[in-house]
Amino acid sequence: MSQANSAEHGAVRADERSEANAPDRLAAASPASATDGAVQAATSPAIYTEGLRKTFGDTVAVNALSMTVPRGEVFGFLGPNGAGKTTVVKLLLGLTRPTGGEALVLGAPLGDRETRRQIGYLPELFRYQPLLTAREVLRLHCRLLALPRATWSTEERRALETVDLLARGDDRVGTFSKGMQQRLGLGVALLGDPALILLDEPTSALDPVGRHDVREIIRGLRERGSTVFLNTHLLEEAEHVCDRVAVIDKGRAVATGSLDDLRGHHSRVRLKVGGLGENWWSTLGRFGQWRVDDGWVVVEGIAPAHVAELVGELVARGGRVEAVIPEQQSLESRFLELLAER
Amino acid sequence: MTSTLTIAGLTIKEAVRRRLLLAFVAITVVIVALSAWGFDRLSHTHSLTSGEANLAVPDALILFMFMFSFILALSASAIASPAISSEVESGVLMTIVTRPVRRTEVLLGKWLGLATLLAGYAAGVCALEFGVIQLVSGFIPPSPVLVFVYLFAEGALLLTLTLGLSTRVPMIASGVIGIAVFGAGWLAGVVGALGANFNIATLRTIGDVGRLLLPTDGLWHAAIYYLQPPALITQQLAEGGGHSNPFFAQGAPSFAYLLWVGCWFAIVLGAAMISFESREL
Repeated sequence: MSQANSAEHGAVRADERSEANAPDRLAAASPASATDGAVQAATSPAIYTEGLRKTFGDTVAVNALSMTVPRGEVFGFLGPNGAGKTTVVKLLLGLTRPTGGEALVLGAPLGDRETRRQIGYLPELFRYQPLLTAREVLRLHCRLLALPRATWSTEERRALETVDLLARGDDRVGTFSKGMQQRLGLGVALLGDPALILLDEPTSALDPVGRHDVREIIRGLRERGSTVFLNTHLLEEAEHVCDRVAVIDKGRAVATGSLDDLRGHHSRVRLKVGGLGENWWSTLGRFGQWRVDDGWVVVEGIAPAHVAELVGELVARGGRVEAVIPEQQSLESRFLELLAER
Repeated sequence: MTSTLTIAGLTIKEAVRRRLLLAFVAITVVIVALSAWGFDRLSHTHSLTSGEANLAVPDALILFMFMFSFILALSASAIASPAISSEVESGVLMTIVTRPVRRTEVLLGKWLGLATLLAGYAAGVCALEFGVIQLVSGFIPPSPVLVFVYLFAEGALLLTLTLGLSTRVPMIASGVIGIAVFGAGWLAGVVGALGANFNIATLRTIGDVGRLLLPTDGLWHAAIYYLQPPALITQQLAEGGGHSNPFFAQGAPSFAYLLWVGCWFAIVLGAAMISFESREL
């Protein structure tokens, strides 16, 4: 399902998306020939999963997870603690193996060694060699990534500058605060200009300034064309930077879409309109359910993107729009609502 | 291969910066200094004839080297037991294994780095101790290089086993198991020697099986053999007590046994690789 469609229809329940992204899925899932494999890998979604499942004994950690993350997008993966978010990240990285389903990362099977060259990862449990300096840690990863030796100094400097650790580059990681270690981890994840960056709770140890900086870094990554998979339980974080999000609970995606999509069904607009003739309300029906409340016209369930269109329609019918107050459900209340529905 | 060397270099760098290694070196220097004093007294005592002193010095050296072999085994176990398990628990390894490297390369790199450290330590101990002994008593083992090789192989064997355990078992458990197995291997050797002395087939079999399952005692006896001057071997055999003496070796290890030791390394290291490769992190 395209984003335009989903905007029209509001939040997309994950289990209602049977046709969602079908062309992408087919492109990604069809067996690659030897000749077009590289091309397909470059054009396939950054992440594609279909019925991905992971169990630990009797515990189902990930249950039939289907999602597609196009390239160049900042994708928020939201869910409460224990929802299975980190397990999904570990599956995508090949750290753990799926029990069922299929998945491709940058067009390659999970855990593909060469593809890992294009992936940056900041783990939730970020720990780096405490006896090495920050520069040595970065250099170690330059070596492991097999980056050309001539680029190491530039990569190190750029990473340290990006995460504001240039002044501490020669200090041992063991002397760093948790926040500084998390910054370093982000710097490590950015080495080599990865096409996909998986950030697992990237601001958990950061102060407000650090969080703001991380958001800026993520925005910069999007501008550069990288895909960011942001695993977080901080809704505010997702609201600030994500193009689209998936809400996961008990290992299953309960909703996927843009933030507006997610809140769309539950947003409304209050209008003060005068000067309209007869049958003016016929205009409102196609935008959502409407009612008159104390002299205000209230349209329920209107997508925020359609408010301007509604106003235009009313003006075209001779209406005098005196006030427009869009009221949108907060992501938090929608999030809680989605979890309660399960 | 490059990744293996990178991990090996990292392992060595981290170990050198740890104080544990310094502590081992300091303890070793103190022990060697004390042994210098002891050997000086032994070789210049008036209560032994010069012939007796010539046999007492290598005898005492074997006991000393047994202690060092134990320290070496302890060191091997101490440095290998946290190598994988602790780094998995702390999360340090997560960012390494998600790079374009094979887990087998990471494991081999760890093994190579730790084995290099162990070789350095064993070489240092042998050079220092043999140098000091020669200085104070004039005795030098017949094949000091082979003594080093077998002592190192003994430590490397335990290192391989503990590293393999570390891919699945928590640090403390793998360290304790490593040391316990080392002790059991030595004990099996003693039991086997007693069996040979008293001609008890069951005890002999225990010794033989023990040396196959964990060849540390077999390698230790190879080191003993190259520590003994010919006169000591002749004397022990003449007295007939050689069989039951756990600090005596009648002959050099056979080629077949050394081949088996090589196979043992390959099997255990291979199993460790499979274990780590298939582990869910």
